[in-house]
Amino acid sequence: MNQDPDSAPDYRIEIGEIDWELSPGKKLRTAAYNGRIPGPQIRLQAGKPVSIEIANRLDRAEIVHWHGQWISPDVDGSVEEGSPMIPAGASTRIRFTPRPEGLHWYHTHAMAHRSLKEGLYTGQSGLLYVEPRANPGGYDREQFVVLHDWEPYYSASDDGSLMVKYTAASVNGRMLGHDSPFAVRPGQRVLFHILNASATEPHWLTLPGHQFQVLTLDGRPVPTQAKVEALRLGPAERVTALVAMDTPGVWIMGEPRAAFRNAGMGTVIEYAGCSGKPQFTPPTRLAWDYRSFADPNPSTYKPDLTVPLVFTSRFQGHGALDRWMINGKSWPDNAPPLLHEGLRHRLIFDNRSMDDHPVHLHRHAFELVSIRGAAMSGIQKDVVVVEAGTVVEADLVAGNPGNTLFHCHQQDHMDSGFMALFRYA
Amino acid sequence: MKFCLIAVTLLAVTVPAARAQGNYEIQVYGAETVAPRTTMVELHSNFTADGHLATPGLAATNRAEHETVEITQGINDWSEVGFYIFTSEQSGLGVQWVGDHIRPRVRVPEKWRWPVGVSLSTEVGYQRALFSPDTWTWEIRPIVDKTSGRWYFAVNPALERTWHGPDVNQGLGFSPAAKISYDFTKKITGGFEYYADYGSITHIASLHNQQQQLFPAIDLNVSPNWEINFGVGIGPTASTDHWIVKGIIGHRFDWGHKDKTR
Repeated sequence: MNQDPDSAPDYRIEIGEIDWELSPGKKLRTAAYNGRIPGPQIRLQAGKPVSIEIANRLDRAEIVHWHGQWISPDVDGSVEEGSPMIPAGASTRIRFTPRPEGLHWYHTHAMAHRSLKEGLYTGQSGLLYVEPRANPGGYDREQFVVLHDWEPYYSASDDGSLMVKYTAASVNGRMLGHDSPFAVRPGQRVLFHILNASATEPHWLTLPGHQFQVLTLDGRPVPTQAKVEALRLGPAERVTALVAMDTPGVWIMGEPRAAFRNAGMGTVIEYAGCSGKPQFTPPTRLAWDYRSFADPNPSTYKPDLTVPLVFTSRFQGHGALDRWMINGKSWPDNAPPLLHEGLRHRLIFDNRSMDDHPVHLHRHAFELVSIRGAAMSGIQKDVVVVEAGTVVEADLVAGNPGNTLFHCHQQDHMDSGFMALFRYA
Repeated sequence: MKFCLIAVTLLAVTVPAARAQGNYEIQVYGAETVAPRTTMVELHSNFTADGHLATPGLAATNRAEHETVEITQGINDWSEVGFYIFTSEQSGLGVQWVGDHIRPRVRVPEKWRWPVGVSLSTEVGYQRALFSPDTWTWEIRPIVDKTSGRWYFAVNPALERTWHGPDVNQGLGFSPAAKISYDFTKKITGGFEYYADYGSITHIASLHNQQQQLFPAIDLNVSPNWEINFGVGIGPTASTDHWIVKGIIGHRFDWGHKDKTR
């Protein structure tokens, strides 16, 4: 990386409004990076410093978060941690040294509040792939897949408060049937790198007749490379999975839930020599358990500190979003315990609400040590879906001093108080 | 939440009175329709504590208990069809079948993201002459509603037409209804429901002959599959039943097709 401020940056990101065609009949206007959805893929090498210039052409301040990277709070892309917003019409240049390896992403970290035209409801997201030193698995091809939902609107939810729904969905910026099929040959092994960039929706993904062998979660290798029929990704979660192309045909790789698939969440996988209408058959059951990919042996480490984090909500009316709280208080009134560098903190995510929460910790990864009381080890993540009414325990070894934001990655929850800032002692 | 008041003519019609309320379904309609492949079954129980006495050929509403079964089937995300069975029970008459109505309804789909909910209901039905001299009636009911924070507002400026009966020459009648409510908690919503019948839109009835009713009412939101509403209505004009106690209990049956998008 050249440190000279007058030299060209390694990457340029321009944030601007674009007209994007999800399909010939579905166009939308949204903010995006470099005029495309998803934004340009950034491939970096671990340990090799990079400079990135970000130009904000919008009429509002913006900020870009480097999700999954263990970098300094001043460039991580969170105002709460201390990164500066990029004023409307202004540019900034950031420098950081990528780590860790694996599949990550970058996205806006601006609050949307009640606006459904800002934050992650827009197209401001892109893949960040930090090349692993070792090949994650023998494969012939790799394919990157970004899921997103579009045209959000507020609707009444079953639990009585407002929720966000969508009219359209896309894979790599296109609705099902409106992108070129992904061409494969029998016998190929394809490595899929999948990101759920939806502002609020968890998604399932299946490829009929095939299985996904999960190699990494949130960019980190898993101890057990289990094969599953369907992947589940909470908002902001990433999965790298290997698929053996051994069932020739023309298939839809998509959301098994018809409402989402019909809205556009799917892409066509076409074997060489095959033609016809893409086929889809839903899996017999939708099941996802992080423990399938874990070391079944409990963690042998004892925590130095325990940090209970209790998630609750407060009803604000049937025509309002719930107010979210961590340990009884909403951001910015809450104050979690201090982190102590070098110590092992056992984070106890105690979800006492009726919603699932994909909680994310900035600038660090944590190791899952129990889910619903069942011990496990070996899975390191930066996002974990804590299902309603359950407790997930995760160990955090505090090794990256500085302000560290913790929040639910559902945009509407984050905007409604579901955030807390960890500080180092 | 929905509210609609079935306007079944019960009064003697020799005076230019507004159509009297049948008190069979006292409910304000919200814009929301029943979800596709889902059936909503409601029982409307209305007791007229102080109503009109019997007149020759026409049953009284006083001390009458009206039970109405409403079955509504969701067709798609913008339409439904409702079917009503009206009954009446009172001393000397026993349980009587009163009539049936059918009510198709369409709405502006939620995904259009309008700032207010909008739907349009039309209702056609028959009622026995013993309970209503106007035996065939038709109604069209625009519905506009809005939920904002803890507040809910709805207005139903309904128009009615008699197809067969003494009021056939009266033309269109105007029967607005409205509701305002407040969410005290997630499960308890309280507010007021207003129902009126101003008579013909070309000859608004005198206040004496208008129907005006105000119901303090509560909604209990105990479960997404249940709908519970209770209210006590006060009718201050001479043409209105003076005291009515109403209750609605409804249950949604999704037949295993519940939206599993969450």
